[in-house]
Amino acid sequence: MLRPGTHHRGGFVTTLDAATLRLLERLRPESLPPETGDVPVVAPRRIEEAAEVLAFAGDRGIVVGFIGGASRFDLGGRLEPDVWLSTSAMNRIVDHQVEDLTLVVQAGASVADVEALLADHGQSAILPEAPGSATVGGVVATGASGYRRLRYGPTRDRVLEVVLATGYGKVVRAGGRVVKNVTGYDLSRLAVGSMGALGLIGEVCLKLWPIPRGAATVRIDDPEGALAETYRPLAVLETEGGAAVYLTGTPEQVAAQSDELGGVAEPGHRWPDPIDTAMRFSVRVAPRHLAGAVRMILTAFPEAPLRAQHGVGELTFGLETCDPEDVVAVRHWAEGHGGAMVVLAAPPGSLPGVDPWGTPPVAHGLQVRVKEAFDPHRICNPGKLPGGL
Amino acid sequence: MLQAMDLIAELEGVVGSDRVRAHPLDRRVFAKDSGVKTGPVAAVVFPESAEETARCVRIARNAGVPVVPRGAGTGLAGGAVPIEPSVLMVMTRMNRIVEVDEVSRSAWVGPGLINLDLSRDLASTGLHFAPDPSSQQSCTIGGNVGTNAGGPHCLAEGTTVAHILAIEMVTAEGDVVVVGGDHPDPVGLDLRAVVVGSEGTMGIVTRVLVKLTETPPAVRTLLIGFPTVEDAAATVSDVIASGLVPAALEMMDQAMVCAVENFVHAGYPTDAAAVLLAEVAGHGVGVAAEADMIARIAAGNHASTVRLAKDETERALLWKGRKSAFGAIAQSAPDYYLHDTVVPRTRLVEVLSKIYEIGERYGISLLNVFHAGDGNLHPLVSFDSAVPGELDRVLAAAEEMVRVSIEAGGSLSGEHGIGMEKRDLMGLVFGPDDLDAQARLREAFDADGVLNPGKILPEGSRCFDRAPTIGAAS
Repeated sequence: MLRPGTHHRGGFVTTLDAATLRLLERLRPESLPPETGDVPVVAPRRIEEAAEVLAFAGDRGIVVGFIGGASRFDLGGRLEPDVWLSTSAMNRIVDHQVEDLTLVVQAGASVADVEALLADHGQSAILPEAPGSATVGGVVATGASGYRRLRYGPTRDRVLEVVLATGYGKVVRAGGRVVKNVTGYDLSRLAVGSMGALGLIGEVCLKLWPIPRGAATVRIDDPEGALAETYRPLAVLETEGGAAVYLTGTPEQVAAQSDELGGVAEPGHRWPDPIDTAMRFSVRVAPRHLAGAVRMILTAFPEAPLRAQHGVGELTFGLETCDPEDVVAVRHWAEGHGGAMVVLAAPPGSLPGVDPWGTPPVAHGLQVRVKEAFDPHRICNPGKLPGGL
Repeated sequence: MLQAMDLIAELEGVVGSDRVRAHPLDRRVFAKDSGVKTGPVAAVVFPESAEETARCVRIARNAGVPVVPRGAGTGLAGGAVPIEPSVLMVMTRMNRIVEVDEVSRSAWVGPGLINLDLSRDLASTGLHFAPDPSSQQSCTIGGNVGTNAGGPHCLAEGTTVAHILAIEMVTAEGDVVVVGGDHPDPVGLDLRAVVVGSEGTMGIVTRVLVKLTETPPAVRTLLIGFPTVEDAAATVSDVIASGLVPAALEMMDQAMVCAVENFVHAGYPTDAAAVLLAEVAGHGVGVAAEADMIARIAAGNHASTVRLAKDETERALLWKGRKSAFGAIAQSAPDYYLHDTVVPRTRLVEVLSKIYEIGERYGISLLNVFHAGDGNLHPLVSFDSAVPGELDRVLAAAEEMVRVSIEAGGSLSGEHGIGMEKRDLMGLVFGPDDLDAQARLREAFDADGVLNPGKILPEGSRCFDRAPTIGAAS
């Protein structure tokens, strides 16, 4: 049951009045994600309803948090909104053009379901592997990419169209349902990784790839050497358990490339298990610094599970507990090499004084102005972007 | 407000008198790009650094004169053509390869660097810059960023935006900023992604960190002739649906093939109603099988000839035919008008037949050469602008062709951009709220309309009756 009352959030004082409550009650979800606590949750069935909620919230200064599968709930720091806006009731596959390799899907659709459907057609949206509860909208909003980005590029390269309920309460469509398009400003790519700063992503059109028939995973000792010698591997991953090259292509080509690598080859792609420690971090550097990042993490945290993507420049690692100063030292190293260290997950209060993102981007003034343009009342996931934006 | 002479003197104070031009001839040369429209030029400046560019922007801004950045002027949509008297910022002198990182596969380059020069210079490293517009021998990387340029090999590699990691640019305020970074997923909003394709309206690109792509160890190039356009288009659909992703899949109709063959003598089959130029690239073992598969699919669609380039020389010759298409047109008429729309690949046959019908109805000379694998159509009309009324007729036909593409679920432009050419057609694909959102974004970068005003968005896109500011909300 929703209760009227005054809420204090991020400098705003808001009142959940009777009109607000009527609107919210109309859109209550069937089940509540545990992460939302006792904060009201609304689940619009259509993007127009989401826009209506945001227009309403904007007028009253009600802070709205966006939630999908809550698999990256902590990214950008924990939010304490007045209301959660959930995509759980917008989870349909709208249109799959099998022969044209495009998919239109609502934000709340589960990544696992979407990839399973596409696999039946020999296709993939190259969304992150082992997605857990992740939704398509969540992957797009957080800008998450999987291990196959070395071969296929990041998720943002496959987002062709986005339908957004903006912070000022309008439904906006950007991009288009064709694989190549330069019609107007590319708001769809801007939405990727925007952390909800522009509004709620309600629907996206994704470019798909056919999955080649050949697949092998080859264990190797020297990931950097293997990367230099292998033409376009799917991924070159290093974990605490060793390194492997992931190959894809025609079966004949995969066999030939496996032989060239000379390691132990297994058919198929066995991706590393997700890191499930309480704290998780992402080190992002230019690919040339990745080997150094691996050495640095192995020295600082010898027991830590890690997933290093050679050729990409991302390394994620996990810890159960740690001294915040050690995390700051890792960030110092990453930023000193021109990169970043991002906190992917951390229990509330476990890392005092550690910013989720680190140093904000150089062009912070532009970031502020773009945020203001789409969220003039600062009600959409406020503070989720670097610099508390 | 500065007088014209004062403006030029101030600009000369920054870059010297030899790098500011305002002679009537210079104004005329820089009044147009490779499209059909011209505009008024106040002065032409050739900056050699970000700092110079920034100072010139501040001067123009204070003078109330817009700034229009420009590379080689190969654009076709009028993106570099000023709408009101403007300072043309020609970036071609900033053409250095600043730094190459072979391990990270990236390079910082000047915006004036010619696209093909970059790949040629890198040849020994086994790396190249993937976007390859037909104009790649003359177009610049900065221009590629401005238009989010494409090219035949974007089918497998994506357009320019997938190959730009970071951009140093001068803002409308005259500040030098960097968006993006050399590492994956730089934190914050991805402003890099919207600066690419913004046609100089969000900043003047002064340095670019490009992603470099491994040059494939093996390539197979096929030239396939078909008795009908439908058979060629069906082959395109079947290849895409088969799970193959060719490196390139280009189509030309008979009129185009004849023009090209007469021009470069590459041995194109002039009796075919359409030809496909298909290329597969990658590991040696893989490409042989893929080339076989394309040949089989083509045979199933009644291909009359299949020619596999036997060596690099023959491959280069086949590509020369494709890339010389626009030069070849000059044989038939002094001017050409090149369209650029995209349709879902499954609807190529249907849209093409409508385009031929429009051409016939207007009685215009129509040739087709295009990126079939992407569904990116390039109907090309050759004409003589000296004939009264001819250009109007060509433009009227063009608009109809755009409309049939949109009706088939397509878009206005695949790689050339909107510029001024298609600005007023934006309402065909976007509603008022969509255009308003794009206008808000632009305003966030350039509230005063200093940078290339009047491009991309039609007038009245911004709805000013909403959205109080943050201050008003609290």
